[in-house]
Amino acid sequence: VTLDTALPPNLRLPSNLVDPDRLKRPPPSEDSSLPLIRKCDAALPAHLSPVRTWVDTLESKDSEPLGLTELHPDVFAVTPRLDILHAVETWQRNYKRISHASTKVRSEVRGGGRKPWNQKGSGRARHGSIRSPLWRGGGVSHGPRGPKSYYYMLPMKVRVQGLKVALSSKMAQQYLHVVDSLNIPTPDSQYLLELIRSRHWGESVLLVDVSEEFPENILQATENLKTVNLIPAIGLNVHSMLKHEAVILTLDTVRFLEEKLLWHDERYTFLYPLKLPYSDFP
Amino acid sequence: MSFPKKPGGKALDVLQNLPRITLTNLRPEPGARKNEKRRGRGQHGGNRSGRGHKGERQRGTRPRLGFEGGQTPFYLRIPKYGFNEGHSRRPQYQPLTLKRLQYLIDLGRVDPTQPIDLTQLINARGLTIQPLKRDYGVQLVDEGSDIFVAKINIEVQRATEGAIAAIERNGGVITNSFYDPISLGILIKPVPFFMRGQPIPKRMLPGEDMVPYYMSAENRGYLADPEEIQQARRALAQKYGYVLPDISKDELCHMLAMRKDVRQIFFGLSPGWVINMPEKKILKPTDQKLLQYYSS
Repeated sequence: VTLDTALPPNLRLPSNLVDPDRLKRPPPSEDSSLPLIRKCDAALPAHLSPVRTWVDTLESKDSEPLGLTELHPDVFAVTPRLDILHAVETWQRNYKRISHASTKVRSEVRGGGRKPWNQKGSGRARHGSIRSPLWRGGGVSHGPRGPKSYYYMLPMKVRVQGLKVALSSKMAQQYLHVVDSLNIPTPDSQYLLELIRSRHWGESVLLVDVSEEFPENILQATENLKTVNLIPAIGLNVHSMLKHEAVILTLDTVRFLEEKLLWHDERYTFLYPLKLPYSDFP
Repeated sequence: MSFPKKPGGKALDVLQNLPRITLTNLRPEPGARKNEKRRGRGQHGGNRSGRGHKGERQRGTRPRLGFEGGQTPFYLRIPKYGFNEGHSRRPQYQPLTLKRLQYLIDLGRVDPTQPIDLTQLINARGLTIQPLKRDYGVQLVDEGSDIFVAKINIEVQRATEGAIAAIERNGGVITNSFYDPISLGILIKPVPFFMRGQPIPKRMLPGEDMVPYYMSAENRGYLADPEEIQQARRALAQKYGYVLPDISKDELCHMLAMRKDVRQIFFGLSPGWVINMPEKKILKPTDQKLLQYYSS
């Protein structure tokens, strides 16, 4: 790289600059030579066709895609309901919130039981206590009152639909990638960063695997990285998916997600809490 | 109407050219969030704050609802009559139309080859019963009697004559049996009851006013005489004008003739047994007094 084409050192690039090399790889066409590694487990409705994506490896930096996968359209190609995404995201932020802001009312402020001066005769305004809200140092009339919880639950099916919409929008905007497994050759963080940069995945990457035990190498590699994070498939949520630019799923994760998310489409309503045993549900 | 190939198709294609969906890009649908009305603030909410001009309206000292300025109000002029007296003690029965029953059987949610019980109907999510709201069970209504084509052994709490005729015309068996509220609660949600670890209670007999209903053969009550029921079946067939099919020559005759004992709540489980759900075991009482009590 010569000095002419190098960027000047005092140039500040905005962080929302779109990488022009990102969308170079088009989605797989009908007649591609790579094998179809995985087909959808659940039965597809007749009028829907599965979504096809490449399956990559993390083993070597410049490797070709291993094959193709079919993804269920009712999970990865649902209508992009951004209002559901917004609702689920605000719920995720707020349902854990307990605000401890608390003020004292005029009866709780220390003092202020005695009438400060006579009702009539002193020439000053009439007052009953020195801690009324009109006074400096007095109580607050309509302030926050003690720990307040903002807990509420969105219906289960809305939350499930939020996950499906998030996955579909990531897939549609080509930020979702499928990988066969999370095995990398070296526990080196630099290797991961260069791999991500060479494949133009983005700045922040979310790696999702099914089990809660990850291979040693990837654990060590992502330990000191802020922008590359690992989560098990059970912990997949809308907030994490939107925060990270790219989402990487393994084939096992795809199977797990499809099974869990499609179950809610065709299930009976619950008669009693799910903790008690059901004979016909999983 | 042209059917699109993918339900989210066009919107997903549009998304490809739009900027990335991030935490900063989300907002609710326009018109979803409306600002609340705040009185006493600003040009429009302020001034009199929506209370009107002077008088009791603005000052908040209007008399109670129903007051007519001293004239005997309407709600005191009219004499009392017991329309709703004892409404909370009247038994209610959730209606189940034959049309809905046929729908459930056609979709495969209810199995016609097994005796149809309230538990089966609830498991099929066919209807909802609230025993705490004075529901004493389900009643069969003859709304879809002309469409009904299913041979079933059904047990309800009340049935209209037309419904009985429709079921027997297709070669089925219908029984009216009584469940007291506790047994009804157990029947509807058996699993939470078994988790409690209590022995299955015996079903109580109906009260004085309901005994004649459940002992008459026209209503196919469970306390009625079987011969009288046969006579009533023939009489009903004659009244409604159909040929009464012979059940004893049927393959499922054994299943159709299955009936619960007067004190039994579940098929196959007697009162007094304790079910252990986690270890899948049934414990039966051995003490003489308990056996005597539960078999009375």
